[in-house]
Amino acid sequence: MNIQKLLQKMFAEKKIDAKQLRILLDISAGRIFSVHRELRFFLYIGILTLIAGAGLTIKQYFTNLGDIAIISALTSCFSAAFIYSFIKVAAYNKQEVPSPDMAFDYILFFGCAFFSMDIVYIETQFHLLGNLWDNYLLASSALFLFLAYRFDNRLVLSMALSTIAAWFGFTLSGHRFAFEQYYREYAIAYSLIVSLLGGLLYRLDIKKHFFDIYLNFAVHFLCIALISGVAQYKIFSIYFPALLMACAALAFYALKIRRLIYMLYAVIYGYIGISIVILNLIHRQTFFIFTYFIATPLMVIALIFKFSRQFKEDE
Amino acid sequence: MSLNLYSSQQEENIFIRKQARTWKRSGLITDGQMSAIIDQTDPEIRQTNIFFRVIFFIFTTLCSSALLGFFVWITGIRGRMAISFTLLIAGVIFYFLAEYAVTIYRFYRHGIEESLAVSSVLLVCIGFFIGITELFLGNKSSAHFTIILCLIFATCAYWLYLRFGYLYAALISLIAFCIIPFQLSLPPTNERLLLLLIFCLIFLLGINSDKSEMADYRKDRNTTIQACLLIAIYLTVNLQILGVVGLLIEDTHIIHLHPKLFPPYIYWSSYILSFGIPALGIYWGIKSRKRLVMNANIVLACLTLSTNKSYLGLTRYAWDPAIMGILLIALSIIITRWLKRGPDGNRYGFTQRNILKPENHGINLADIAAAFTPNIIDAPQTPSQQDKYFDGGSSGGGGASGGF
Repeated sequence: MNIQKLLQKMFAEKKIDAKQLRILLDISAGRIFSVHRELRFFLYIGILTLIAGAGLTIKQYFTNLGDIAIISALTSCFSAAFIYSFIKVAAYNKQEVPSPDMAFDYILFFGCAFFSMDIVYIETQFHLLGNLWDNYLLASSALFLFLAYRFDNRLVLSMALSTIAAWFGFTLSGHRFAFEQYYREYAIAYSLIVSLLGGLLYRLDIKKHFFDIYLNFAVHFLCIALISGVAQYKIFSIYFPALLMACAALAFYALKIRRLIYMLYAVIYGYIGISIVILNLIHRQTFFIFTYFIATPLMVIALIFKFSRQFKEDE
Repeated sequence: MSLNLYSSQQEENIFIRKQARTWKRSGLITDGQMSAIIDQTDPEIRQTNIFFRVIFFIFTTLCSSALLGFFVWITGIRGRMAISFTLLIAGVIFYFLAEYAVTIYRFYRHGIEESLAVSSVLLVCIGFFIGITELFLGNKSSAHFTIILCLIFATCAYWLYLRFGYLYAALISLIAFCIIPFQLSLPPTNERLLLLLIFCLIFLLGINSDKSEMADYRKDRNTTIQACLLIAIYLTVNLQILGVVGLLIEDTHIIHLHPKLFPPYIYWSSYILSFGIPALGIYWGIKSRKRLVMNANIVLACLTLSTNKSYLGLTRYAWDPAIMGILLIALSIIITRWLKRGPDGNRYGFTQRNILKPENHGINLADIAAAFTPNIIDAPQTPSQQDKYFDGGSSGGGGASGGF
C-alpha cells in the first residue's frame, strides 16, 4: 500500500473528508509544492552574504570612503530596518507571534548586524569609550534582547546571547578557545546568568518558546567549562560533582519535557567527564582501561535503551 | 530480487508515517487521523529518534573498538598478517552481528546495527589493505594498492546500501569510486573526463531506473542520489572550485589547483557547463518536483556566480559578496511576490505558503548561524586592551572587538 491508496482507503472509511483527501493527495503527488523554506533559506543566505560583503568593503576601503560616508550609510541602513520593523510589527504579545511577512525577521536581523558594524566602526575610528569599549557589547546585547522580545525574533535573540558571551570575553570563532581559570569562571557565570534570565522569563510566561535558545547557550558553556575543570583538577574539585549534577538535571529535564536533544548533551558531556576521572584513576592499567571502555558503553546503551522504550520514534 | 533486509512494504510504511508526522505537525490531519494512519502502517520494526540513534551509534562504536583492541592486546598479536587476519575476522563478525540485530531485534536506523555495519566495512577494508600490502609489497606500486582499496571500499559500502538501505553508504561508495581515476597516472584533463564519464553514466542509469510505478520511498532515495550525483558532476566540471585552493598554494605542478593550466577548450567548455548544469538541474527539479535536486542546483548556481569572475580573469572586489547577497534577497522577494499574486496564492502548483512545518528540536541552524554572525563583524583593538583577558576578542557581538 502506498500513501495515495491509504488516503483513498481512509476516505472510503470516512476517516478523512473530501477536502482533506484532495489537499493531502495534491501534496503527496507534488501538485501543491511549497517553496516557503527555500525562499526563507535564500533570503537568509542573502542577508548573511550582504553583511559579510559590507563588512569586508568597509574593512578594505574605509580610508577611501571616508568616515562620514561609512557612518551615514550604516546608520541609514540600520535605521531604515528598525523603522520598517516598528511600522510593520503587530501589537506586543507575551506569546509567540507570527511574522507579518517572510522577510520581516531577516530585515530586523540585518538592522542589528549593521548597528553592530556602525558601533564598531565609530569606536575604532574615534575611540569614544577608549578602554571601556566593551560596554558597547553590554549596551548592544540589551538592545538586541529588547528587539528580540518586541519583534519575537529568534535570530536576534541568538545574536544578543552571543554578544553577552563576547562581553564575558568569549568568541564563538573558535581560534582562541583556551580555557584558563578565569575563562572557566566566566563561562560558568555566563551560563548561570543566561539560564537564570531565560528561566525567569519562562516563569513569567514571556515568550516561552525562546527558552530553548537560552538553554542551548547555557548548557554548552557550562558543560565545556566544567569539563575543562575536571580535566585540570580531576575528581578532587567542585567541577566533577557540579558536572554530574548538571548532566543529571539535564537528563531529567529532557525526560520531563520529552526533548531528547538535552539527553544527548547530558550523556555525551557526562560520559566525557566521568571518563576523564576514571581514566586518571586507572592510568597505565591497560586491562582496566579496556574493561572500562567495553563495560561503560554497554551500560549507557542499556540505560538509553530502557528510556527509549518510553518514546516514539518521532519524539 | 531485493537484497534489502527490510521489505518494500516496511520501507513504504516508514515513509508514509514520516509524511503523516509532517502533516500532523502542520495541522493537516488530526490526532485521531494520525492514529488511524499509524494503525494501518505498522512496519513491524523497532525505530528510535535521531538523538538516541546518535547515542547508540557512538557508544556501540566505542564498545566494539575497545573489544577489538582488548582482543589484540590480550592475545599479543603483532605481525601485520596476523593483524590483517584479525581485522578481517572482526569485520565479518561485526557484519553478522549487524544482520542479526536487524533480523532478530528488527532494528531500523537504530544506531547499534548501523555502527556494527559501518565498522565491519572499515575493518574489512583496513584488514584487506594491510594483508595485500604485506603479501605483494615490492611487486606493485602504491597506486595499485590504493585502487584495490578504493574498489573494496566502494563495493562493501554499496553492499551496505543494498542490504541495509543506508543512503550515506551509497554516497561513501561513490566517493571511494571517484578516487580511482586519480590513481591511473593519466593526464589531468583525462582524469577529469574519466571522472565525468563515470558520474554521467551512474546518473543516467539512475534516471533510467526512475519509474513512475516505483514505491515512494525508492523515488525519495533516488532523488537524493541524483542530487548528489549532480553536485559531483558540477564539482568535476567547475575547474575554479579547486582553483580557490590554488590561490593559496604557489606550487604549479598540481594542475587541478590552477585551472588556467588546462587546455583552453577544456577551460571554456568547463565555463559553459558550469552555467548549463545548474540551469538544467533547476529546470529538471522544478519540472519533476524534486525538491532536493532543485535546491542543490540553486546552490550550484550561486557557486557558478561566485566563480564567474575567476573564469573571466576579472578583479575580485570586497563588495562582491554584498552584490551576491542583494541578488539573492531580490530574487527571493520577487519570487515570493510573484507566487503570492497568483490565483489562490499558487502558480503552476508552487506556493510560498508554509504548508509543511519542519521538526522543532529547540534550536535550529539559522539560530546557530545568527549566533556566529557577530564574528563576521570585526571589532576595535586598541593597544591598551591587549593585556585584558578579553584581549581584543576578535569577535564580539553588537559592536565587538577587533579592528577594521
